[in-house]
Amino acid sequence: MQPKTKYFNILLLLVAGAMVLSACTPKPVTGTLTLLDWSGYELPEFWTDFATKYPEVKVEFSFMSESADSYAKMKSGTLVDLVHPCSNFWKIMVDEGMVQPLDTSKISNWKDVNPALALQGQFNGKQYWAPWDWGFESILVRRDLVQNVPNSWADLWNPEYKGHIALYDSGETAHVITALALGFTDPWSTTPEQDEQIRQKLLELMPNVLTVWSSQTELEQMIASGDVWVAASAWNASYVNMVDQGLDVVYIDPAEGRGGYLCGFAIPTTSTNVDLALAMIDAYLAPASQAKLANDYGYGIVNTAAIPLVNQTTADLLSLNDQNIISRTIFYKYLTPEQRDSWTNMWSEVKTSQ
Amino acid sequence: MDKRSRFASLIGPPGIYLLLIFLVPIGVMFIYSFRSGISGVAHDTFTLANYQSFLRNTNFQNLLWRSAIISVTIAGFSTLMAYPLAYYLVFKAGAKRVTLMTLLIVPTWTSYLLRIFSWKLILGSSGALNSLLLSLGWIEKASPILIYSQQAVIATLVYVWVPFVALPIFAALERIDKSLLEAATDLGCPKWEAFLRITLPLSLPGVLAGFFFALIPTLGEFVTPLLVGGVSGSMYGNLIQDQFMRALNWPMGSVMSMAMLLAVLFLIFMLTRFGSLSDLAGF
Repeated sequence: MQPKTKYFNILLLLVAGAMVLSACTPKPVTGTLTLLDWSGYELPEFWTDFATKYPEVKVEFSFMSESADSYAKMKSGTLVDLVHPCSNFWKIMVDEGMVQPLDTSKISNWKDVNPALALQGQFNGKQYWAPWDWGFESILVRRDLVQNVPNSWADLWNPEYKGHIALYDSGETAHVITALALGFTDPWSTTPEQDEQIRQKLLELMPNVLTVWSSQTELEQMIASGDVWVAASAWNASYVNMVDQGLDVVYIDPAEGRGGYLCGFAIPTTSTNVDLALAMIDAYLAPASQAKLANDYGYGIVNTAAIPLVNQTTADLLSLNDQNIISRTIFYKYLTPEQRDSWTNMWSEVKTSQ
Repeated sequence: MDKRSRFASLIGPPGIYLLLIFLVPIGVMFIYSFRSGISGVAHDTFTLANYQSFLRNTNFQNLLWRSAIISVTIAGFSTLMAYPLAYYLVFKAGAKRVTLMTLLIVPTWTSYLLRIFSWKLILGSSGALNSLLLSLGWIEKASPILIYSQQAVIATLVYVWVPFVALPIFAALERIDKSLLEAATDLGCPKWEAFLRITLPLSLPGVLAGFFFALIPTLGEFVTPLLVGGVSGSMYGNLIQDQFMRALNWPMGSVMSMAMLLAVLFLIFMLTRFGSLSDLAGF
């Protein structure tokens, strides 16, 4: 007998043996569940329920640096069972058939998810996305360094802040906040004339701008050092962190409304682990996981049953219960490819004009 | 082992590696530059539209030009600073040479980002330099010094590249036959003239190699401008990143990368007119 066939026969025998064994005793579910997630959410405390229910399942994380990164990774062939981008990428992924609808009846915590936020994950009458984390984008100000605290997005143009503003490095954000400052009610449906007005207005803002920011840590370091007095589109998590550091900061409620981002999970069309993926979403939505997200990271949460578990100071800092602010929040919408292109090019031109 | 198979076994592994992770990706990018979008059958077309819109976009071209000037400046300053350093190490340092060489490399053992952040802490509004100037009464209000500007990008990258530029110059100076210098002295040639007529010309291959060491990677820089450049220090690399990450316009990003590749080749071509390509390799 050739050695190769010998090994093959032994293998066959083993497989057959395993099949007999598994038929006799109810074996725990095994396998591997893979996630494409933001770093920080891989901590087991965020998915305790899953680990308890499926102790034999191996959970593997790969990380995304931003929503566009998750889109690019999936486009270039990364296979995962769950992906976690923010809402401005939800529609494009649905339209391109990259994700599948969720069977929410298999998610026990679904009944407590804030319906207004869940609605944003629906397309063509189906729930594709399970929202999980959200946050404000507003203006964070070093009160001790400015004469006047701004009250609106339009106040960013105040010459008092010359050379001390940080803007978020994205054409989408730049377009939206400038449209709001100009009084355009829907920044996502602007006319070409309005786009030109936005470009001009942004050019006028540049002398006030010290730098653009793209990572939360980097922004917080510049606010703490006093280089940046007025941080535009800062996240509420940064506000919580700056308060924790004992800085005299204020997170304003601009007259035009705060911006908002919402992120969540979907199951890629290529996943063959749908039931496990649904169980994982359920675990992430559990009140204890959501409360940890708010208490440790200062992010907004979607499970209403988790709000009592959030400590009062954090809940107040996040305005978690302030329906007045939340209802006026302007969440990111879907961009058409044309808008994405032209806003990025406009921003590339404006930010390099100095 | 005959000569040919020895050559193959030496060149083979790195050659295949380069082919896979360098030439193939560049080829893929070249193909992408003619597509109309990222993926999907609808975008499987051949188009020159991306090249046309690149040629129409004066902003992209201006920034490429500006970045080329920035990186030539960086490479120039790095070389000017590295030369005396390498000269000292080869001709004056004697037994301390190895120690000094190690000291030169030590900073690169820590994370680059960490070093940038500490620069920002020293030069920032609440940093050491501001505190000093404030307490001396030389300034009235703290503000960032040097950082968030094009000069900051240049200063930071010169600091980063000096050790790497010094290495090829060091190697070139060390190869110089010292008896040539002794002969010059014997024949009554003053030291400065011996330097200009013997040392400098013989070390030029190392100088050019060092210059390109700094020039080529800095042309595509995007991390340093992001961290210390402020709004006036953006470079071409930042715009390429925007096309890939923000606009999701991979074809345009590819066209821009191709344009940069051409710019680098052009710069190399122009500068190698002063010396042959084999000099660059340090042979």
